[in-house]
Amino acid sequence: MKSSDGNRIRLQPMWRKVAYGGRQSGYDDNYTDESFLEEMVMNANVVKRDLLKVMIDSVSISQYLCIVALVVSTWILTLNLDIDECTLLKLDVGLLLVGFSVLLLTTCPFSLKLLTKYVLNISFFISGLYVLAPIYHTLTRSISSDSIWALAVSLLLVHLFLHDYSGSTIRPPGALNNPKLTSNISLNASIVTSVLVASRLPSRLHVFAIMLFSLQVFLFAPLITFCVKKYHFRLHLLFSFALMAVALSVTYQLHRMFFTVLLALLVFVSIVCPYWLIRIQEYKFEINGPWDEAKLCFDITE
Amino acid sequence: MDGQGTKHRILMVSDFFFPNFGGVESHIYYLSQCLLKLGHKVVVMTHAYGNRSGVRYVTNGLKVYYVPWRPFLMQNTLPTLFLTFPIVRTIIIREKISVVHGHQAFSTLCHEALMHARTMGYKVVFTDHSLYGFADAGSIHMNKVLQFTLADIDQAICVSHTSKENTVLRSGISPEKVFMVPNAVDTAMFTPSPKRLSCDEIVIVVISRLVYRKGADLLVEVIPEVCRLFPKVRFIVGGDGPKRVRLEEMREKFSLQDRVEMLGAVPHAQVRSVLISGHIFLNSSLTEAFCIAILEAASCGLLTVSTRVGGVPEVLPDDMIVLAEPAPGDMVRAVKKAIDMLPGIDPQIMHLRMKKLYSWDDVAKRTEIVYDRAMQFPTTNLLDRLPRYLTCGSWAGKLFCLVMIINYLLWRLLEFLQPAEGIEEVPDIGPLHAHLGSKNDFCEAQEK
Repeated sequence: MKSSDGNRIRLQPMWRKVAYGGRQSGYDDNYTDESFLEEMVMNANVVKRDLLKVMIDSVSISQYLCIVALVVSTWILTLNLDIDECTLLKLDVGLLLVGFSVLLLTTCPFSLKLLTKYVLNISFFISGLYVLAPIYHTLTRSISSDSIWALAVSLLLVHLFLHDYSGSTIRPPGALNNPKLTSNISLNASIVTSVLVASRLPSRLHVFAIMLFSLQVFLFAPLITFCVKKYHFRLHLLFSFALMAVALSVTYQLHRMFFTVLLALLVFVSIVCPYWLIRIQEYKFEINGPWDEAKLCFDITE
Repeated sequence: MDGQGTKHRILMVSDFFFPNFGGVESHIYYLSQCLLKLGHKVVVMTHAYGNRSGVRYVTNGLKVYYVPWRPFLMQNTLPTLFLTFPIVRTIIIREKISVVHGHQAFSTLCHEALMHARTMGYKVVFTDHSLYGFADAGSIHMNKVLQFTLADIDQAICVSHTSKENTVLRSGISPEKVFMVPNAVDTAMFTPSPKRLSCDEIVIVVISRLVYRKGADLLVEVIPEVCRLFPKVRFIVGGDGPKRVRLEEMREKFSLQDRVEMLGAVPHAQVRSVLISGHIFLNSSLTEAFCIAILEAASCGLLTVSTRVGGVPEVLPDDMIVLAEPAPGDMVRAVKKAIDMLPGIDPQIMHLRMKKLYSWDDVAKRTEIVYDRAMQFPTTNLLDRLPRYLTCGSWAGKLFCLVMIINYLLWRLLEFLQPAEGIEEVPDIGPLHAHLGSKNDFCEAQEK
């Protein structure tokens, strides 16, 4: 049997990987050559990830978690009337000044025009908020507090889940691409949460102060941290660790449970998740070959 | 071989059939015609198109069932898994079918009909006409569906060797079960123009849907560059699609209105008349399992320039096609090479070569062998077949088994409610040409 096979191969033309010319004599249509699948490439584009790098990259997430934890702590303190409205207003002004100075220091082409534009916008924003404060104050009076807290917590979770951790929803001047839909949803969820929390406060000035505070943080903190990160990475790390320390100490004094949750979350985000990602990398399996759709090597500008 | 010489009774199933037009549609049509010529019985089953619903007869008494299911997305019927069973069963019994042949991996009707046919114990053959990647969510889903259908198939057919490799990888079936039977071209319909075009002005023809996958963006880069390098080249672009705007913008931007003619959608009947007005056919697809358009162009005597993607390199001998990487620079180089080759190309000789290289008659004979092989497989019962589904994946395998068990129970219920004896069988009227004695029908014309 073997020898007759050998004869056949010698007598007959070589099998070719072509579709034309009808059935190749001596070979069935289901003939499978050794060249079958030889053009297949496996795992050509898999990126080897480094644990340390992934952990450092995850700092951005931990940092934002801490910012949100600090905002929530402030809310709780204000609701318990541990902070009065004057302190809160001083805090607002302080944050505004710090934020401005960071923005001006880190964005290089500093211009007076841009500054006046910012100042004008913010003064409009603040006066609008002040006018609307009485409405926010009575907005949810007919809704029970339980519903408000449940809604606030779930919206905050939505906010954290959909937040754009890699960039900033509020774009620095001159940014190219527009923010994604999910990050906009996230921003809106955080603003609604602020309104809900503010509506449970005793006075109009309280409402104004807390709204201003929350909006400042939710709108501009991502922008500030983004600018810091772009400016200097070491500074970003330093800033993040300082924030983490502050957030942990504040929550520790506030509530043990809150502290434990935050700590667990930070450990999970910055240690467990990176390790997990590295572990599941080995299951990554990519197949490429001539059947893949060709990629265009130039940009399509519509 | 046992099965050789027996006449099969074949049911072709696909969502894609005339009046829709494309590679799959013409494949089914021409294959059915030639199988009828070989003495088999062929019935086509597809979904209703507009008010074209019910049973129709097309050329040579090919019977087409337009099943009254409405397409919901891209000419596909809504996937319902079990709801098509009664009508599939009735058609199979009425027409005394022996082999069910499904076409195209993203036709839901095809997958459902094959599943029902397997449950009823019929032989099934599947033809895959397209290529799929492995990375995006859509492909992963499609590949799982394909794995389900192919897990218990008798034979599969692919239209090119690249497509065979792709199908084997996607579905995990043994390569021995997959046959390579290419598409063909109706050379009697695509003849070159009787008098040779002068080479004073070179006309490059593009006929394709103007969409991303067909490489319309490549055309936007290539056409101005070719026009700049070769002052005597003119383009004719046939086809419509979302990228047409970009081509027209390009034409405005480089002031090529007098050198790039945009025809819009070209009906299939007029493709030849467009093709024969040109010297070179340009195909810029980014993915292609076979590409019948190249065959049509070559049959009209045009030299083809194409991207080297999918199964395209297998389609024509090297002296009839110039291949290029899907990048503008390389495409322009290939067009230049083609223009240099042009004086040595005789469309009539090209046409005669194409006649030898491709015929639907040959395709039908090769498909017949696949049916013969399928018939040799022993009939298996449900319990023998379930393990084949179990190997499809830890979760998917169990799910597939469950679907098959429910389908089996449904079949028993249908047998009880509407016994097979109660379904009237259709008398065979035989192929029409036997009665009419027509001489110039399609397959004979090809043999000439």
